[in-house]
Amino acid sequence: MLLEVKGLNAGYGFLQVLWDVSLYVAQGEFVALVGPNGAGKTTTLRTIAGLIPPRQGEIFFKGELISKLAAHKISQMGISFVSESLNLFTAMSVHENLLLGAYVVRDRQKQLETLDFVYHLFPRLKERRNQLAGTLSGGERKMLAIGRGMMSNPDLLLVDEPSLGLAPNLTLDVFNALETLRQQGVTILLVEQNVNTTLHITDRAYVLEQGRIALEGKSKELLENKHVKEAFLGM
Amino acid sequence: MQKTETVSARAGRLGNGLLSILNALGITPLGLALIILLAILPFIPPFDREDLLRWLVGAALIAAQAIAFDFTTGYINVVNFGFAAFLGFGAYTSALLAVDFGISPWIGMFVGALASGGLGFFTGVLTLRLRGIFAAVMAWFVGLALLGLARNLVDITRGPMGLSVPTFLETASNRPYFYIILVMLLITYLVLRWITSSHIGLAFKAIGQNIEAARASGVNPTFYRVFNFTVQCAFAGWLGGFYAHYYGILTPQLMHTSHTVEVLAIAYVGGRGSIWGGAFIAFPFIFFIEWLRSSLTSLPGLHLVIYGLLLILVMIFYPGGVAQFYYWIADRVGKARRGSAEQSG
Amino acid sequence: MARSSVQSTIVFEVLRRLTTAAGITIILSVVAVIVSAVVAGPFTLVNAIVTGGMWALLAVGLSLVFGVMNIPNFAHGEFFMVGTLVSYLVFTPLHKYLRQNPSSVLSTVAPFAGIFAALLVGALLGVVVEKLIFFQLRRRSREQWVMNSFLLTVGLSVVMINGHQLLWGTNFKGIPRYWDVKPIDLFGVNISMDRAVALGLAVVTIAIFWFFLMRTRTGRAIRAVAQDETGAQMVGIDLNRIQVLTMALSSALAAMAGASLLFMFPSYPTVGLKPLYVAWYVVILVGLGNVAGATIGGFLVALLQTLTSYFIGVGWEDVVPTALIILILLFKPSGLFGSEVKGVWEQ
Ligand SMILES: Nc1ncnc2c1ncn2[C@@H]1O[C@H](COP(=O)(O)OP(=O)(O)OP(=O)(O)O)[C@@H](O)[C@H]1O
Ligand SMILES: [Mg+2]
Repeated sequence: MLLEVKGLNAGYGFLQVLWDVSLYVAQGEFVALVGPNGAGKTTTLRTIAGLIPPRQGEIFFKGELISKLAAHKISQMGISFVSESLNLFTAMSVHENLLLGAYVVRDRQKQLETLDFVYHLFPRLKERRNQLAGTLSGGERKMLAIGRGMMSNPDLLLVDEPSLGLAPNLTLDVFNALETLRQQGVTILLVEQNVNTTLHITDRAYVLEQGRIALEGKSKELLENKHVKEAFLGM
Repeated sequence: MQKTETVSARAGRLGNGLLSILNALGITPLGLALIILLAILPFIPPFDREDLLRWLVGAALIAAQAIAFDFTTGYINVVNFGFAAFLGFGAYTSALLAVDFGISPWIGMFVGALASGGLGFFTGVLTLRLRGIFAAVMAWFVGLALLGLARNLVDITRGPMGLSVPTFLETASNRPYFYIILVMLLITYLVLRWITSSHIGLAFKAIGQNIEAARASGVNPTFYRVFNFTVQCAFAGWLGGFYAHYYGILTPQLMHTSHTVEVLAIAYVGGRGSIWGGAFIAFPFIFFIEWLRSSLTSLPGLHLVIYGLLLILVMIFYPGGVAQFYYWIADRVGKARRGSAEQSG
Repeated sequence: MARSSVQSTIVFEVLRRLTTAAGITIILSVVAVIVSAVVAGPFTLVNAIVTGGMWALLAVGLSLVFGVMNIPNFAHGEFFMVGTLVSYLVFTPLHKYLRQNPSSVLSTVAPFAGIFAALLVGALLGVVVEKLIFFQLRRRSREQWVMNSFLLTVGLSVVMINGHQLLWGTNFKGIPRYWDVKPIDLFGVNISMDRAVALGLAVVTIAIFWFFLMRTRTGRAIRAVAQDETGAQMVGIDLNRIQVLTMALSSALAAMAGASLLFMFPSYPTVGLKPLYVAWYVVILVGLGNVAGATIGGFLVALLQTLTSYFIGVGWEDVVPTALIILILLFKPSGLFGSEVKGVWEQ
């Protein structure tokens, strides 16, 4: 198992958000985590990425316990987190942002290869390689964040709501990019509001409600699930 | 029935009335006891010695400054890093009025307060658009500019040579001065405590925590910040007047940043946002420091090293200072009392 | 046709830049430089440029620590003081030894030994301060970080100043000059070797530092932390390492400035105050966190000070710049060069 989360409790200050969350992602899988606003999806990803310490439970990555590691260590082990707020380096150029994405990659040759791949995936980024990240459009920022996440050749990519605030055609671009990555063999754990599309492109999915896993299963099967239909697909 | 009311019950009612008045003024029974202790201290040996009386006056002066300092730092969360310069501005104003125009120090010190308050108003307006640390640095720059003026306008201030100033009284004894500064300390406490415990204090705390949120909920940060600065500086200027007419000599050194740091350290170790913490801690602190200074003359600077270390340690390990410790104890005692009351009742 | 339009856009762009606040300041200071060189004599100007280089070093360090760690360092001048002290303690015995055993090689190297020792001690002290003080607070609480860390540096400054007094006393520990050689003749102006070397060191250091920050992996990581701490952690940057490194660099630069200027600033407990004021003038003037602006600002403030003490009088060189900065900030609160970088933890 690539990623395994067992009985995770986490939160902020006095507020506990996650209650006994367990999930796994196998090598090469494309897994979705969906749920209503405030369910704790972002919190789950942030905890896996090491940005919030878990209160209870364990997280294993490639068989190693990572729940006590600092965020940069987790990133060095091969988990890339593309956050909702993107956390770009706004006063640096697109190119520099991508180079920083490859901070943990010491091999210069490998860096350049990945850079080519990212520029190939998002030609717009190549056009704007010398522009400051802070002056990019919303869609371009998303692409840059995903591209930066790719630059470390991660074994697992955590992506938080890439479609948030994007026009439908741009959303499609982003999803297509994720599809491409997936075909390249990258394992992805995706958080999305756009449940319908998400369940169509992913293998498996978890439904998180009020900090607990309410449902899990094959995406195709969940599409047929009565509760999912009522709650998320408006049927 | 009423006529048969016992004397003790009447006394008790009187006592309760007194307590509620004190409570309204913001003085706890413990606080009252400490004030009474301070008031009789100059007659209790060894504190009736002139050198110790001098320490007492110094401590009370610092205590009042710490209160004024906390009024800004602990509430609107802006450190007035030029504090000493405002103190000095009031001191020079009052001193020069006395020296050049023969105006009585008793009037001069209030003019000094007005002058410092006016300058504080100006600084408040100047730093308005700046946040947190920038406002502190700006106030510092204003202070440095004032210090520079005091040093260089030798024709007026006599610069580093020092200005000799007429004193309040023609006595060599420090005891009357102690009572003057004690009254000033009490007035400073009562006024600033009254302001901070009113709705204005709430507004202060609101803009201290988050200016934008305060603005959104209808608090006008402009007004409250400038008001706070003005009041603080006015009190600083007033206390500066006492300094001038007590020590009788004024040098620009009074306005130096190191003096601000001294007040700041005491206010923080006392506990920010408490108003009384700094004043409380000032007395033992100043006595300790003065004792150290006078007994360790072979190690100059040691007492200040301790000052700095204490500030660092408190900031890291116990940021609430002595006030927080007091509230913690009071809480413990309160709980224990309630616990035993429940058991017996 | 195409060519001339390109040229005219360039001209336009240059004109636009020159009419911004920064541009106007630079034009005014160039004018001031020329006027003062004519009126006050070139020597004043040389002094301004030499101290300016060192102010730039100080301001860059101060700015860096604020940008990366969000610490408004009030103890920055004390690292300057440490620099003067270390260099004095290293150089004086070497100099004494040289009196008895003259050696031309050693006498060229000795000053550098002093300056280099200061740099090392400065860096080391920076590490100690970060580990022993800032790290401890960061681990416990990040609430009101900017203000609290500022107060920590206030305490640190008091400890360092009085620690110096306790251990080495208040007397001036200085040297008349590092190099006993004839002054260099440059366009008819005599420049002492000490001044020339100080300027050279400043220029070289700033250039190296600039290259490090802009072009190397670690330099980029430092800038990344300044811009987005979470983002930096997400790409695998170890915050602790960067923070230690930043503090070490900043203190080393300040100490080096102190050591290089030992011939102008003899070491005594509060020798760091003036450089501290100046570094803050510069940093506020150009906007906190703006490292490039800090370099220019260093020279600007030095020039302003030199002109003030020449035209208005010695003793006024702090009053006039302060008043001017207050005025400038009234109209441009974000500083002359309006920096984009904000403190990450500012409320
Ligand atoms: N930094 C924080 N401090 C305190 N509470 C937080 C913080 N971040 C999130 N929360 C709370 O935790 C809960 C879960 O938030 P989270 O961001 O994980 O939800 P989400 O499922 O990602 O929602 P959305 O779909 O809106 O992004 C919410 O109630 C939110 O208010
Ligand atoms: Mg979310």
